[in-house]
Formats: sequence, structure tokens, C-alpha cells
Amino acid sequence: MNHILEIIGLVLLLIGGTFLFLGGLGILRMPDTYNRLQTGTKATTLGGMSVILGVGFLEPDWLIKTLVLVIFIALSNPISSHALARANYKRKNYPYLKGGKEYDKYREVYQKEEEEETA
Amino acid sequence: MKRVLVISILAVLGAYLAEALFQLDFGRQFFQNGVKDFYLIASPDKLKVANVITAIVVNFRGFDTLGEVTVLFLATTAMGSILYKGRHKLGERAVLFSASKIVTTGSKLLFPAIILLGAYVFIHGHLTPGGGFQGGVIIATGFLLMLLAYSDYSVSHVVLSVIESLAGITFATIGLLGMLHGGTFLQNFMATGVLNNLLSGGIIPIIYITIGFKVGAELTGLIYTALNEKD
Repeated sequence: MNHILEIIGLVLLLIGGTFLFLGGLGILRMPDTYNRLQTGTKATTLGGMSVILGVGFLEPDWLIKTLVLVIFIALSNPISSHALARANYKRKNYPYLKGGKEYDKYREVYQKEEEEETA
Repeated sequence: MKRVLVISILAVLGAYLAEALFQLDFGRQFFQNGVKDFYLIASPDKLKVANVITAIVVNFRGFDTLGEVTVLFLATTAMGSILYKGRHKLGERAVLFSASKIVTTGSKLLFPAIILLGAYVFIHGHLTPGGGFQGGVIIATGFLLMLLAYSDYSVSHVVLSVIESLAGITFATIGLLGMLHGGTFLQNFMATGVLNNLLSGGIIPIIYITIGFKVGAELTGLIYTALNEKD
């Protein structure tokens, strides 16, 4: 039983480490803010959750605490990335799209929101 | 010209500091028989405190910590008086609009968790790393999150200053009670309990809890004043 838990924990650590590495690489390699946010938060959410859960499997006494941490990351990381992306959009740094503005589906929603706010 | 002056002043100060530092005896033999042995033996044995740093900060150097808390209080007061340009009305804030629905809902969910974490950190200050200052800062970040997410979220300055003053008075009172019992300020006068228990360490947990409240209230007030700054 202990053996199985250890193997699960090590595999989770490996997955988490890989995704954290890819997230760090993406921040260096990606061209603009939105793509960097994607690697900097999506990849690190999965990576961080896997690493913490892996530690929980390696040390079964800490499993409940690590689960709480995983829930905290699942709540906080996507919300902060959303807030950063929205703030960037509000500063009129629109994403670069090959086809032009009509591919930016968020703009209509955003303009409607702006009108509601000013009204 | 100004830059040259600044560099020369820094060089003179640096030379003085370096001269003083070179006179100190750094080295292994200097630390073998020092005050560190007393701290390392006395904090688990006599005070029953697992975290030696806490034992030093709150008990052996407790008077210093009272001074630190006072410095923090003065710093926040000075900061508030600098930032406070005339009376502000509601709505005149650096955060003019509420954040999106995702952020507001998320902060509502996360706020109790952050406060709980801060309280955990300062209540377990004598057992685990962290303590009053760190826990207080975590609590202040919770309030910062709420203030950034909601444009109409307000904190009562009266309540904050009452909490702050009560915490400070409790700290000083405990110190004076130690004086009554043992002769020195902040002398431990309560039962120390068993090592690694939550209720151990005598007066140390109580003092750290008051520091946590004080730092949390002070930094929250500071953030609130800074956000209400008028242009």
C-alpha cells in the first residue's frame, strides 16, 4: 500500500515538475501578454497542484492539508490571471490576431459592459 | 554635481561601516561559547517554545519587539498624515469601479480563507515558522484583496484604531504583569506547559496574538489610506 502511494506521489511530482518547467519556458518564449499569461498561469496551476498533491501522497499525514492548498490554488490562480488579462485589455492592449478585429470575440461583450458601466 | 555628492557621502559612510565591521571577530571560535548556546538550550527547556526565533523575539528580546511595534505604529501614522490631503468623500478612491464578477465572487470566497491563514500563522507563532508580524501582514493582504475587488468596500478607521490600541495596551499590560511577578519587564509568569502543544510557552502566544492584531489593523489602515489618496 505504501509502495503504491509512493509511486503515485513520484509520478505526480514528475508531471508537476514538467509542467512548471514548460510554464517557465513559455514565459520566455511566448510573443505577447496574453500568451504569456496562459503559460504563466495555466501551466503553473497544473504544475503546482500536481507537485503539492504529490508531496501529499509521499507523506500521507499531510494529505488533507495539501488538498486544502490545491483548492486554494484552483481558486486563486485562474482568478488572478483573469484579473491581469482584463486589466491589460482595459488598457487597450488588444491581442494580435491574424484575421483582424472581427476575430476578437471579447470586444463586443466588453463594449456592452462598458456601456452598462457608464450608463 | 548632485550625483557626485551623493556618491561621495555614500563612500564615506561605507568606509566608516567597513572599518567597524572589520574590527568584529568573525569566526568559528567566537561563536562556540556564546549567547546562542543559552538561547538554544533555554527556549525548549525552560520556556517550552519549539520555535527558538519566537522565543528570542518575544521573550528574551521582548522589550525590543515592543519598540518595533511602536516604530511600525509611528510609520503608519506618518504615512497616513503624508497621504491625507484634505477630507475625502465616498467614491473618491484610486479604485473607481468594482472588478469583474469573477474577481468579486472569487475574493468573497477567498477572503475568509486568507483571514484564517493569517490567524493560523500568528496563533502557531511559537510552534511553526512565522508569527505575529507575518500573520498580520497576511490578514492585511486579505483586506487589500477586498478593497481592490469592490469599489464600495470600506473599513472603519475607528474600529481599526480601537483594535490597534487594545492590542498595544494588552502587550504593555502583560509586560507590566511580568514586572509585578518576576521583577523584569515581560518576565514569563504563566505555566509553560508541554513542548510542542498549542497551549504552551507561557505568555508568548498571547503576545504574538496581540502583535498579529496590531500589525493587521495597522497595515489595513495604511492600505485604506493609500487607496483613498486624492490626486
